[in-house]
Amino acid sequence: MLTALMMGLAVLWLLPAIWVLVTSLKLTPDIVRVPPEWIPWPATIEHYGEVLFSSSRTARIGRAFLNSAVVSLGTVFIVVVASAMAAYPLARMRFRGRGLIFALLVGSLMIPNAVVLVPQYVLTQRLGWLSTYQGLIVPEAAMTFAFGVFLLRQFFLTMPRELEDAARIDGAGAWAIFSRILLPLSQPVLGALAIFAFRSAWNDFLWPLIAVNKPDMFPLPVALALLRGAYSSESYGPIMAGATLSALPLLVVFLVANRRIVEGVRLGGLKG
Amino acid sequence: MKRRRGALTPYFFLAPGLLLFTVFRVYPLLDGLRLSFTNARLGRAQQAFVGLANYARLLDDTRFHTSLWNTAFYTVASTLPVLAIPLVLAVALNRGVALRTFLRSAFFFPFTLSVVTVGLTWLWLLDPVVGPFNYYLRTLGVPVRSWLADPGSAMWAIIVTTVWWVTGYYLVIYLAGLQDIPRELYEAAAIDGASGWRRFWSITLPLLRPVLLFVFVTHIIGSFQIFGQVFILTQGGPGDATRTVVQHLYETAFANFFHFGAASAMAWVLFAVILGFSLLQFRLLRGHTEY
Amino acid sequence: MSEPRTGVTRRHLLAGTAAVAAGSFPIPRRAAAQAKPTISYWNGLTGADGKVMDGLIDQFTRETGIRVEQQRIQWADLYAKLQVAVPAGEGPDLALIHTVEVPHFASDGILEPIDEATTGGKGFRAEDYLPTTWQGGVYQGKRYAIPLDVPQHTLYLNTKVLREAGLAGPDGKPRVPGSRDELLAMAKQIAKGDTFGFAIGTVNPGKYTWGFMNLLWQNGTNVYGPDLKRSALAEPAAVEVAEFFGAIHAQHRVAPPANASCRDAFIAGKLGLWIAGSWNFTGLRDAKVDFAVAPVPRLFKQPVVWTMPHQYTFPKPRVADAAKRDAAWTHLRWMTDHVAEWTLKAGQVSAVRKAHSDARITADPVLKTLLAQAPNWQGGQPTPKWVAAENLMRPVIETVYIGQRPARAAMEDLARQINALPE
Repeated sequence: MLTALMMGLAVLWLLPAIWVLVTSLKLTPDIVRVPPEWIPWPATIEHYGEVLFSSSRTARIGRAFLNSAVVSLGTVFIVVVASAMAAYPLARMRFRGRGLIFALLVGSLMIPNAVVLVPQYVLTQRLGWLSTYQGLIVPEAAMTFAFGVFLLRQFFLTMPRELEDAARIDGAGAWAIFSRILLPLSQPVLGALAIFAFRSAWNDFLWPLIAVNKPDMFPLPVALALLRGAYSSESYGPIMAGATLSALPLLVVFLVANRRIVEGVRLGGLKG
Repeated sequence: MKRRRGALTPYFFLAPGLLLFTVFRVYPLLDGLRLSFTNARLGRAQQAFVGLANYARLLDDTRFHTSLWNTAFYTVASTLPVLAIPLVLAVALNRGVALRTFLRSAFFFPFTLSVVTVGLTWLWLLDPVVGPFNYYLRTLGVPVRSWLADPGSAMWAIIVTTVWWVTGYYLVIYLAGLQDIPRELYEAAAIDGASGWRRFWSITLPLLRPVLLFVFVTHIIGSFQIFGQVFILTQGGPGDATRTVVQHLYETAFANFFHFGAASAMAWVLFAVILGFSLLQFRLLRGHTEY
Repeated sequence: MSEPRTGVTRRHLLAGTAAVAAGSFPIPRRAAAQAKPTISYWNGLTGADGKVMDGLIDQFTRETGIRVEQQRIQWADLYAKLQVAVPAGEGPDLALIHTVEVPHFASDGILEPIDEATTGGKGFRAEDYLPTTWQGGVYQGKRYAIPLDVPQHTLYLNTKVLREAGLAGPDGKPRVPGSRDELLAMAKQIAKGDTFGFAIGTVNPGKYTWGFMNLLWQNGTNVYGPDLKRSALAEPAAVEVAEFFGAIHAQHRVAPPANASCRDAFIAGKLGLWIAGSWNFTGLRDAKVDFAVAPVPRLFKQPVVWTMPHQYTFPKPRVADAAKRDAAWTHLRWMTDHVAEWTLKAGQVSAVRKAHSDARITADPVLKTLLAQAPNWQGGQPTPKWVAAENLMRPVIETVYIGQRPARAAMEDLARQINALPE
């Protein structure tokens, strides 16, 4: 009974997403119809061909895909490395300023990104980073960094002290303990953080909307938003094809790492 | 020698992150405060100190007031559905439903879409003439309207869209929290004859408290800066009925007027509001959590 | 529908595989890439006209070896980007903009002035052009732009919808309204359930400033008074227009709700009479809609037709590059010489007069109608504040359209906001 109810709800929940997929497979004259048609027949993949490969048209979703991939992977790398390194001493060492630094980082989680939008733009412009990968990656990483530290510190705190002591007796330095003991044991949380950082970079809209002026450098969400054109049916096909393609990487990540996300969230900061 | 190196070790580990954090979070925050006292404009080399002029102008800017009010309305109105719907789903999924993985994935799927995809899809679904949503309502004999063009329903349509988008994310977080509640507690309660509701109120909710707080805070911070949905779905319309602070800020700085000084003043007003809200929240919740 | 679409798809896929093999980038033709420069070209031709532009540019590249990298984003975003990108040194070599954007981009120093010796030397002469379009490229005595075409309003009639409402003649042709009363009467006869009689605009009819302006101009008024300083929108002529705009949906229920896509409604057979831009018609043909066009009817004092010519402009580069500028001029020359193709395929009447007598154009019923509107064409006012005023107008006229605010109060408020715009 409950299962049936939940199944019904889930299907209902997926309908808008199915609509995207169905539309992306329709021939252009079939796209706008009342009543709505849920079966794309005759089907076509021409919209996918158009958004991926067409050379002179500007809707370079293929190019935007590449941009998004570079930016998201770059962000994940910086976030994971910088957060893990920072979380380690905050969790397992005593030093001056520890409380203050951690309080500042946690406090910054309260600051919406929009508050620093304008000065961040001014800074990026002064660095000559507008419309560049680093101009997207570095601010994006800075946005997620504090969250990463918070998540990882909570996890590092739970690790037994004995592991470290044993390694230290064997003559291991701090870096060795960090890289050979802590990191391998933290894989699930690091994975969850990586997925979180990937998603927020892959889907971020506001920052790339203003920090990129060269359409060649647009990541997917910006390219899609500006492609909608006069919001007319002839661009629905390519837009929905682009939307479907842009969902794929995260869908794959989620299907593969489904367990790990729940596990990572559970192991991370949530337990306070 | 060795000892000194040991004393520096924590800072060595902190250095990359703190550099990133200082240059791209702390410095912009302070620089924004400075900009808010200037007449800085995009593409203009000089900028002059104008004192509180930008803030004074905000006092008269009725569209800014409207956008503040709308942002507050959105934040308050969306909190209950965003908190409760995923919770209900999570509790249901946690009760040994079959096909759990599929169900969880189904609800999570929208969260993998970008706000742009979500917006464009719902814009079409809600189209008053050719949109499927109104078509089916009409078939059912329900009176239809232009949900996004009616000042009474536009913000609610944005909230529905947002709920659809983020429910899966919070669902997963709740599930993680629920798994940590020991089964024995429920079993003991069942033996004592506690009803399902009673168990929910006296076991599930209290033990989920930190998770609920996390979801609550995450959602509130996100709500204060809602932009993408509005940008795609209504552009702030009808009239200014869904205009939000970040949209107003974006247009002031990057789309219409390119006035960085005024936009920075708006950002700091928003910051002050959030800060006040956080302090209030902190006072209310102090002693109850382990954060 | 009988077209062999799978063939197209396969070709795309093949081209795509090659592109992926080359590292996801289009492969430049080696000889051409070395000898000729590549120019970047921004435009907002996001509709069916964009595909036509793609075709013409491919042909241009084949003939001249000059590669054109088009960047296409919808107009409003394009203008915001241009304003931001050019001072940052990231602007394109060539940009297509609307005439009304020329004054503010020129006064903001975004565009490079063009001296008359250059235009003359490249063979662009005033006498070849429609005077208003040619004059639209000038701001404060200096030229900043070369016109391409004249996008304009026209009346689309949905043959199937009108026939079903009993509004077709014995020959099956839809009846054409001649006055405001007749238009309203026909629209009322069509409107039923989810089918609407009349709309003005593309998406967001309630926010469609271009349609509202068309009505303003028909009533002999405008956004600004003749001195271009004070807004004329609070005056009775403008209020009368706002009252009509506020009645068609909110009162008469003949026009679709504010957030409808009129274009999609027309294609889906849910809209009968539609005043909209000429850029829509090739797309309607592609969507296989049965429709006819007629001149914009006279709804107020004069049968004025809204136009907004496209202009080619050169955004200021950080470092001048003579080879790129030359290549851009070559492209302008080539497009101007091939503008009849553009008109035929994209449905945009050219700014150059010569193309108007092309036999293929005069034989097309739609293009013939558009050309016949020429005596009634009018454009926006040449002030740098025009675009800012238009941005203020959008939310206000929407509140009028949905019946949220009375026309007079809204127009007075709008005029006040426009008058308060900083210099």
